[in-house]
Amino acid sequence: MGIKIEDLTVTFRNNVTAVNHADLEIPKGMFGLLGENGAGKTTLMRVLTTVLSPTSGTVTLDGILYSEKNFEKIRKKIGYLPQEIDLYPGLSVQECLEYMGDLSGIPRQIYRERINYYLEKTNLSEQRRKKMKQLSGGMKRRVGLIQALLNEPEFLIVDEPTTGLDPEERIRIRNLLVDFSEGRTVLFSTHVVEDLVATCNQLAVMKNGRFLYSGNMKELLEQARGHIWICKTKEEGTARELEKKYHVSSKQYAGDELRMKLISETPPQMECSPCEATLEDAYIYITNKEPQL
Amino acid sequence: MREMKISLTFQKQAYAVFFVIILSLVRGVSYSNEIGIALEAPMAILAFTFCADTYTQEIVSRRSEIWRLCPMKKRIYFICRRIVIQEIFLLTVAAASYGLFFLLQNPIIYGMGQNGLESEICQFFVYFTAIAVTLGFWGILSNLISCLFRNMWVGIGGCMVLWLMTNSVIGDRIFGAWNLFSYSFRNLEDSSDFSWIYGKIVCICIGILAMAALPEIIKKRG
Repeated sequence: MGIKIEDLTVTFRNNVTAVNHADLEIPKGMFGLLGENGAGKTTLMRVLTTVLSPTSGTVTLDGILYSEKNFEKIRKKIGYLPQEIDLYPGLSVQECLEYMGDLSGIPRQIYRERINYYLEKTNLSEQRRKKMKQLSGGMKRRVGLIQALLNEPEFLIVDEPTTGLDPEERIRIRNLLVDFSEGRTVLFSTHVVEDLVATCNQLAVMKNGRFLYSGNMKELLEQARGHIWICKTKEEGTARELEKKYHVSSKQYAGDELRMKLISETPPQMECSPCEATLEDAYIYITNKEPQL
Repeated sequence: MREMKISLTFQKQAYAVFFVIILSLVRGVSYSNEIGIALEAPMAILAFTFCADTYTQEIVSRRSEIWRLCPMKKRIYFICRRIVIQEIFLLTVAAASYGLFFLLQNPIIYGMGQNGLESEICQFFVYFTAIAVTLGFWGILSNLISCLFRNMWVGIGGCMVLWLMTNSVIGDRIFGAWNLFSYSFRNLEDSSDFSWIYGKIVCICIGILAMAALPEIIKKRG
């Protein structure tokens, strides 16, 4: 069960195709969605939350087809944290969450218990009386996440939930999402690779509206194996040439030597040693690989 | 209380209060029975600018994407609650502005036949009923147009066009007693002429239709 996307295409009125014949299966548990800006992640999530209707293709959630007559049923199962959201600035955190609880039709007793629980979990208990406009960007993000969790959805969609959070808060939010994902589906969209490494086993990589990869994280790393190289050089000219020829995933000075991590199908034409791929390397490898016909 | 904080922000309240204070200072009246005429059309402007963001504020702040996931009945109930709160506030402002005209312009009390005070109270209640319908109509209409186009400025603009059409001599000639501003165009000399009620009935009917269309528009446009 979970979400099944078949041959999904979303084309806007200005003829821009944001999602292009995409196929994807999202199983239960944490599922990462990785892609550069403009890859089509947010459009995909807007389709999954029924905000946007696809131009063609089908989507099913636990076997329920996305169609006008099923939308009410589907919406009950979904929680959503959009990328940008400005929750009621004039309300306090508590009032804002209670308002969202009321709007969702959750009984008062239940949403109050959940609000207390999630405020505690996200370290916001002491801020509950503060007005939304007085909160920092990271705090607002956490309140946004709580509102998405309030109806304990079967399918949670979070669009860059860790944006603007300090490292400690990011870990807290990631752990909360992992706890929440037990028996449910959490679609975690981000371009912060380390967030996915810490939380997801399954992921999909998107580029130009298509899925370049979907599946296990280990298999993605396996695909990149043998294509990641470490080169060291002292000459600036050589370094510049390497940068022109290959994708450089990292650069670091070690004394007077420049250590570069290159991504290349074949061994670079200088003395290099192969190294283990990280998810970031694998992501760059997969998104820059020549399409195979 | 939460709904009041959302739909009756300090800025909106201040705008409404300043609007009527300025109006009562610049719009001259000689007789007390002219106050209603002086107030109706400007109060309509206040109502449609005030209520245009009833729902579109959710679109601007991107909360509408979350609203979409909530049950339709709840969404409509919450929008209606906001409209009612805003209308009550506007009605209070309209009543207070009637008093402001008396206070700042000291008009001559226009007798309706018997005792001056009695007729004045009677006139106020007639005004209050007419203005309640006017405020309700323009508030509901601007919210509906704003929701339809997902933009409060289109709502305000659309209402402004209708306002200009109906609050004019041509509008009065075309629609007569059925005009949306029939109360403003009524014959002041004949206090027993209540044919302006037809115009208000039109307002009520269109308002009911607009409220009935709202769920469908929210469903389609989100």
